[in-house]
Amino acid sequence: MEEKDRLFKEIFDTNSKKIFHLCYGYTGDTDSANDLLQETFLKVWQNLDKFRNKSLISTWIYRIAVNTCLTYLRSEKRQAKDELTENIIENKAEEFSEKNEQVALLYKSISKLEENDRLIITMVLDELPYNEIADISGISEGNLRVKIHRIKQKLTELYNQHARI
Amino acid sequence: MQEFEHLQSLWQSHTVEVKISADEMLAQAKKEVNGIRSRSLLNILGMALSFVAIATLWLFFDFQSWTTHVGLTIIITAIAISTFTLYRSHRIISRNDFTVHPKQFLDSLKTYQLSRYTLYNKLYWFYAAALTIGGILFFFENLSLLDMWIKASLIIFTIFWMVFSATVLRRSYMKKEKERIDLLIEKFERISEQFTTGL
Repeated sequence: MEEKDRLFKEIFDTNSKKIFHLCYGYTGDTDSANDLLQETFLKVWQNLDKFRNKSLISTWIYRIAVNTCLTYLRSEKRQAKDELTENIIENKAEEFSEKNEQVALLYKSISKLEENDRLIITMVLDELPYNEIADISGISEGNLRVKIHRIKQKLTELYNQHARI
Repeated sequence: MQEFEHLQSLWQSHTVEVKISADEMLAQAKKEVNGIRSRSLLNILGMALSFVAIATLWLFFDFQSWTTHVGLTIIITAIAISTFTLYRSHRIISRNDFTVHPKQFLDSLKTYQLSRYTLYNKLYWFYAAALTIGGILFFFENLSLLDMWIKASLIIFTIFWMVFSATVLRRSYMKKEKERIDLLIEKFERISEQFTTGL
C-alpha cells in the first residue's frame, strides 16, 4: 500500500499539471477542471494495479482524462459555456494585459470547437507526439494528421475572428 | 492575422496552477463520502439521545398509571428499534473504502440508498404509529393534572409536530438525501464505467 501511495504521488506530481491544463482547455473553468482532474486521478488510483506498461503511463492517463472529460460533460448535461470563457476574459481584463486578453481569446476559440476536437487540439498545443495522440483518441495516425490540420485551421480562423471583434 | 504557432506559444505561456496535492485530492474525495457517513451517524446519535432522555424521564419520575408505563415502553421500544435499524443501515456504507474497493463501495452505496428508502417509506409509519399510541397513553396520566388550555395546546402542538414531521420534514429530508446519494452513485459509476467497458 505504501508503495502504491508513493507511486501515485509521483505520477500525480508529474502529470497533474498537464492533465489540469487539458481539462481547463476543455471546460473553460477552474471548478469543472478540478472536478475532472480529481475524477481522472481517482481512476488512476483505483486502476494503478491494472496498468501493464503496454503504453507510456502518461498516455494511459491522458486516455483516462479524455474519456473522463467526454463522459463528464455529457452526463452532467453541461456544455463548455460561453459565460465561462467570458469569466476568463473578465478576470484577465482586470490585469490589463494584452497577452492575458489573447490567452482568454484562445480559450474562447477552443470552446467553440467540437468536444473531440477541443481535446485533440489541447494535446497538440501541449506538443504531444502524434502517435500518442492517435493512441489516446483511438484514431489512426493518418486520419489524425488530416483532422489536426483541419482543427488547427478552424482554431486559427476562430481566434482571428474573435480578435477582430 | 495570427498563425497557429502564435496560438501554441500563447497556450504554453499560460501556466496553470494545480492547487491540490495527491493526498489532498484523495482526502477531498473521501470528504464527500464522509459527509453521508457523518449525517447517518448524527441521525443515530440523535435517536440514541432521545432514548437516553426518555429512559431518564422514566427512571426519575414516579409515574402512577399503568398507561404511562405502557406508553413509555412503546415509545422507547420504537426508538430502540429505529436506532438499531439506522445503525444497520449505517454499517452498509461504513465498511468499504471507495479508494480501495470501488466496486464494492458502489454496490454498498446502492444498498444503502435502498435501505434508507425502505426506512423512510415503510418503517417510518410503524415508528410514527408507535409514537402516536405511546404518546396518547402517556398523556392520559400526565395531562390530567394540567389546565384545560395547556392540555389543548400540548395536544395541538404534538399533532401538528407529528403531521409536520411525517409530511414536510420527511419528504424534504428524503429528497435531499436521495439527491446527495444519487450524485455520488453517478460519480462512482462514471469512474468505474471506463474500466469495466474498457478504455
